[in-house]
Formats: sequence, C-alpha cells, structure tokens
Amino acid sequence: MKKIINSPENLVAEMCEGIAKAHPSLEFLPKYKIVKRKEINKNKVTLISGGGSGHEPAHAGFVGIGMLDAAVCGDVFASPSSVQVYNAIKATASDKGTLLIVKNYSGDCMNFDTAKEDAADDGLTVDSVYVNDDIAVKDSLYTIGRRGVAGTVFVHKIAGAAAEQGKSLAEVKAVAIKAISNVRSIGFALTSCTVPAKGTPTFEISGGDMEYGVGIHGEPGIARQPLETADKLAEKMTKALIADLKISSSAEIAVMVNGFGATPLQELYLFYNSVTKFLPTDIKVYKVFVGNYMTSIDMVGASLTFFKLDEELKKLLDEKSVTAAFK
Amino acid sequence: MSVLKQESIEKIVDTMTAVILKNEVYFCELDSAAGDGDFGMSLAKGFKELQKNKENLDRSDIGSYIRSCGDVIAENCGGASGPIWGGAFKAAGRYASGKASLTLTEFAEMLRSAAEGIQKRGGAKPGDKTLLDALFPTVEALEAAAKSGSDNIAAALKSGAEAAVKGAEATKSMIASRGRASYVGDRSLGFPDAGAQALGVIFTEIANADVI
Repeated sequence: MKKIINSPENLVAEMCEGIAKAHPSLEFLPKYKIVKRKEINKNKVTLISGGGSGHEPAHAGFVGIGMLDAAVCGDVFASPSSVQVYNAIKATASDKGTLLIVKNYSGDCMNFDTAKEDAADDGLTVDSVYVNDDIAVKDSLYTIGRRGVAGTVFVHKIAGAAAEQGKSLAEVKAVAIKAISNVRSIGFALTSCTVPAKGTPTFEISGGDMEYGVGIHGEPGIARQPLETADKLAEKMTKALIADLKISSSAEIAVMVNGFGATPLQELYLFYNSVTKFLPTDIKVYKVFVGNYMTSIDMVGASLTFFKLDEELKKLLDEKSVTAAFK
Repeated sequence: MSVLKQESIEKIVDTMTAVILKNEVYFCELDSAAGDGDFGMSLAKGFKELQKNKENLDRSDIGSYIRSCGDVIAENCGGASGPIWGGAFKAAGRYASGKASLTLTEFAEMLRSAAEGIQKRGGAKPGDKTLLDALFPTVEALEAAAKSGSDNIAAALKSGAEAAVKGAEATKSMIASRGRASYVGDRSLGFPDAGAQALGVIFTEIANADVI
C-alpha cells in the first residue's frame, strides 16, 4: 500500500482538518468529526448527511449554501456513531427543524435513527429520508433494500435548494423523497479499493476481469465478468437505468458519470460520450455532471446515474449552490 | 448451586475483549468474502476503547457494569457494530440490573435479552445470515443446560460455545438478507456470516478460559 498519510488512525480527522482549512466557510468539530457551515441559518431547515469516510468529496464537499449544513464523518466505510450524529443535530439545530439524508445501509440507518430518537427526546424536530438509488441490488421484502450511492448527491442538491428557499421541513422532506424516487444508479469496478487500516485490496481481481454492479465500499458486485468496452458497458447500463426508472419518451433527465476515485477524467468523459450513443433521441438531457462525486477511495471504476426531472426538480437543480465539490 | 459472580462476568468481558483484539484482521477477512471487509476493525475499535476505560466502568452491580460497557461500545464501534454490539450489552445490562450474581438460568435469560435487543435494533430474524444465527443457538443450549438442572456452569458454557460454532457453520448455506452481504445475493453462499463466525470464536475462548 502506498498512501499519502501519516497514520491510518488519524486519516479521517486530518482530512477533515484539511477540508475546513481549505474552505474557510466551513468548520470542523474534531470531537464528533462533524464538518459544518460556520454560520447556521436558524430560519431554514438544516440538512445533515454523512456516513463512512472514503467517499470524498462526499459528504463534506457538499456542505455549503444551497446544499448541506453538516456532514458527519465516520471511519473509512463505517457509519458514524449515533452520538456523532446526535451532536451534529444539536450543532445545527434550527427553528424550522432538521432533515437527515441517510444512505440506505444497515449501519447508517441504525445510527441515524437512534440519533433522531435521542434528539426528539430533547425536543428537537428531526426527520429523515433514505436514499436507495443503486439498481444493482435486488429490492425485495427480504432484504434491507437497495443501497444509496452517487444519486445521493442529487438529493442533497434538491433538498438543499428547497431548504434555502425557506420551505418547511415537511415540504423539504417531500421534495427530497420525490428526488429519491426519480434517481437511479449502477456502477462497475476494474479494481478493488484499499482501505488504509487494512493495507491490502478488499477483493482480488485478475487483469482481464471486472465487477459489474459494485457498491462504493469494495463490497463485491452482482457479477464478475470479462472486461468490456466503454460502448458495451454504456449500452447495458443506460438500458437498465431507463427500464428501472420507466423513462418515457420526451422525458428530461440529468446525468451523472461518477468516478470511483482512481478513474482518469478522460475515461469518464469518454464513457459519457458512449452513454449518449445509447440514449433514445426523444429523451432530453437537461444537465450533465462528469467527475468524482461519490468515490470508493482508490477504486478504478465508475457509476452512471439518471435523474428524471419535472419542472419543480429542474428549477431546484438550477438554484445556486456554493460548496467545495458541487456547483 | 454454583452461580456466576460479578468477577466472572468481568472475566468473560475481558476474555471477549482480548479475543476481539487478537482477531481483528481475521474478522476483517471473514467480512471481505461478501461484505466490505471492515467488521474486525469496527468491532476492535469499540473494545480497544473499552479496555482503555476499564477503570472508569460502573461496577456497582452486574447490570450497571454491562450497561456501562455497552455505552462505550455503542459510541466507539464503527458502522453497524456500534448499535448491534452496544445494543446487545445495554439490553443484557438492563436484564441484570441490580444483580450481584447470576444463576445459569439467569445468565441464559440475560443472553436472550441481548439477542432480542439486537433483533429489535437491526430487524433481523434467525435464518437471515447474521450473528443471531450463532447467538440464539447458544442461548438455547444454555437454557437446555439450565433446565436439565445442571449447575455445572463450565460445562454449560462449553455446550453454548459448540452451539455457536455449529450455528455459524450453518450460515454458510444461507443467503444474506441484512447488512452489506445482502447486496451480493447468492454470492454470499458458501461463506459464513462474519458476525456469527466471530461469536463462535469468542464463545469458544470464553468456554476455554477459566472464568468461574
């Protein structure tokens, strides 16, 4: 393992210090590993997200005007504790209440839910939404359901814009749920990531193979298969997303090509070009985002996200946001 | 009739801590097959903190002791392990509240409370390929030993450990429906659940340690 670190134990804290120092409108609360806006506007709904670290710029990179008020940072790929989340709720409490945007994982759900209950006991108004955009995971009664991946960034954006407009907690929650039900993602990986504390790749993969349907933690995907061309992958993924989202003709969508951390931008743009070849001409692309938004440390690979838009979502997507990683 | 004194309960927790710290890497490897490979690390983080705070734990009775362990674990274990293992300790602590010693029957009931605490927080049921598939068989083995009128706690702990190991083995043929292993569906077949396997190791070492 070669990493630019001092020691694996201090990685998350030192990274957060760096984020706060690089972006002076942010501050870092080291005790509970919270990156928050220095100024909390008590007259708007505050938004908190977070989860395990290793997904940078998620989530601290989305803290700022028009998006999140705080990001709670767990260890690499591990949910923050309920105590951390509870303290983030307290540190950002507003007169209009707080919405937690949680990626749908067992650990995150348990910790954010416990924090929500504890804060409610203190008389704070807190609600939550759960993002589950990854279509690689089968959604059935018998599982905890699909996991939250890159589509979460669109939920931050939409809920953040609505909150900044002064909407009520119920209204912000409603539009966040609308965003969640219209966003879907699918990803693939050519290599595993290496968790610094472990020091070796999470999964082994031979030179000619890839994992299709991977998540963002180095957990295996739904299938291992020989490496395919960008066009072949783009065709399969585009078709799967259109089918799952039931996108009809004349629909408008936002597209995100998200790198997993170690994929060159040239390949991400090439991949977007491939995607456009397989989008039906009657589907209009309203906005495109190509870059690293929800990474998996140093994994080589990418995910594709489609976000189906209506007039309300388009307006919110166009609102101003001033954050480190999303404009 | 022999009972488990608070001293024995503390020895059990110390043994458990030592096993978890010793097996940090092994428990991560168990989680790499179908999960994301951080289980051993998350768990060790909480128990390392428990070891550090050893002198500050509330020792007024068994319940307070276990509950204060639970607080440290819940706050410091990463990911899902905090609510699950911390929640188990807190539920067990509530059961043992005010007690200075536990009979075998009470010890089994306390572990049942822990298992039910986990179930309440995580929503899993037996057969979902989770640590409950090792924990419930252990509880049942201890209950059976208690019912048979045995007061040989050491022998009961051995049968509990064997049940945990067997329960963990049985998770190999289950498909995960909770936690991150659930995302890979059928690909979790053939591998034991990391939490269940870890419990098998932990209970085995507790049974082999001289805790009574």
